[in-house]
Amino acid sequence: MNTTYNFAFFDEGSKREIRRATLKAIAIPGYQVPFASREMPIGRGWGTGGLQLTLSLIGKKDVLKVIDQGSDESVNAVNIKKLVSNTTGVEVTEHTSKATLIQSRHRIPEVPLTKEQILVLQVPLPEPLRYYEPSETETKKLHAEKEYSGAWLMLFEQIMKYGGMTTGADHPVLVHDRYVMAPSPIPRFDNPKMNANEALILLGAGREKKVYAVPPYTKVVSLDFEDYPFQAETFADKHCRLCGQTNVFLDELVDELTDETVYQCNDTSNCLEKLNSVGVK
Amino acid sequence: MKLDMVHDIQTVYRKLVDAMARPGQLADLSKEAALIEESGAMPFILLAFTLFDQEVTFKVFSKREAAIAKLINQYTYAQPAVIEEADYIFVLADAEETALKVAIEGAKHGTLKNPHDSATIFAEVDEITNASTLKLTGPGIQSEEYIHVETESKWVAERQVKNKEYPLGVDLMFIDRRQQLLALPRTTQITINRVIV
Repeated sequence: MNTTYNFAFFDEGSKREIRRATLKAIAIPGYQVPFASREMPIGRGWGTGGLQLTLSLIGKKDVLKVIDQGSDESVNAVNIKKLVSNTTGVEVTEHTSKATLIQSRHRIPEVPLTKEQILVLQVPLPEPLRYYEPSETETKKLHAEKEYSGAWLMLFEQIMKYGGMTTGADHPVLVHDRYVMAPSPIPRFDNPKMNANEALILLGAGREKKVYAVPPYTKVVSLDFEDYPFQAETFADKHCRLCGQTNVFLDELVDELTDETVYQCNDTSNCLEKLNSVGVK
Repeated sequence: MKLDMVHDIQTVYRKLVDAMARPGQLADLSKEAALIEESGAMPFILLAFTLFDQEVTFKVFSKREAAIAKLINQYTYAQPAVIEEADYIFVLADAEETALKVAIEGAKHGTLKNPHDSATIFAEVDEITNASTLKLTGPGIQSEEYIHVETESKWVAERQVKNKEYPLGVDLMFIDRRQQLLALPRTTQITINRVIV
């Protein structure tokens, strides 16, 4: 452990500032609370918001898991994990069920979260209305007035142009019947997991200097229309080529030798746990 | 002071987060409060250490208001302010019976554009139990939670008036003599469970 820095890298003043913002965020689900967002030793837009939330929360007894697009071993996850464990000395894990603090980029783990856990999501673009309104002053006014017709219009245009909603990820949600929120670029497959989740979900956008939250057991509804209901990606009749699981989010890969399309679990630790439990054939 | 300003404050904060995220579930701050060497057991000072610095304004309701405000300012650099401007309001056990009502009524509740620019009120009460006097529902609560806050103050109605226009409102935290903390964010709906005799 590197003791040159204060515990969890941050000075205590920075922690207090983000802590105050986080408590307000929990009190107003889905509302983006501005915070100071310090300079981090990783690039802005590479998970600094999530990292700052993690550093403000973490204590000596925590067990940390960091994932990037479902993987525990990709660059972003490994570097964030290194920085946090280097400045705190906390235990890191790949097992979702063992972690008390999970920082994630673009996925909610397949293993259901528990009330002992906090999920921290990294957010590149926290403003769901930014696509059609570039001004922050204006989007703040739209949120204040609960004026979200633009958000529906955006989805309506997609239906008119392409015959269906084309949000690949980051499909906007309505939180606690009040705020339209960007759930971070999680696939639509993960959107329903946000609704009434047992764990507290915190979202941090470092570059955009916003934190927001979805408390446990909070109503989160993906925006849709009566005649065009929200649909998650489906993987019907497909299964993971390694562990055979169905009803999980699968990556579509091309086997370069045979030119065949194959499917594999996106949540790598869940896949590995499954393989270990049945024994590799 | 034996209180560790990094690690003990972190555990206090995590308990605040849990309490705020799960209204009705009490957070036990007795371990950290016992570490404060100041006489007269002042759990509110723990909260000041956790959240206050020079960017924060606060107001204290107490018979010893001036002394306590000075103490908090010296420890944290936070600035005392009038009720309408204070970010945090402490209503201590020795304050007048009406103090909590006055605090809720006068506290800033944010604007529609900036609802986070609103006050958090910490009130010391005699005892908080899970007796079924008040029924809580809302985000953070699976179906319902029951809570009893032992205090003379008639704060429930005042809070309802203050928080009627969500997302505007104030967030409340109660702490009792055994250092059990209850958080009631503005989203929590309270119904008084009337006992039918």
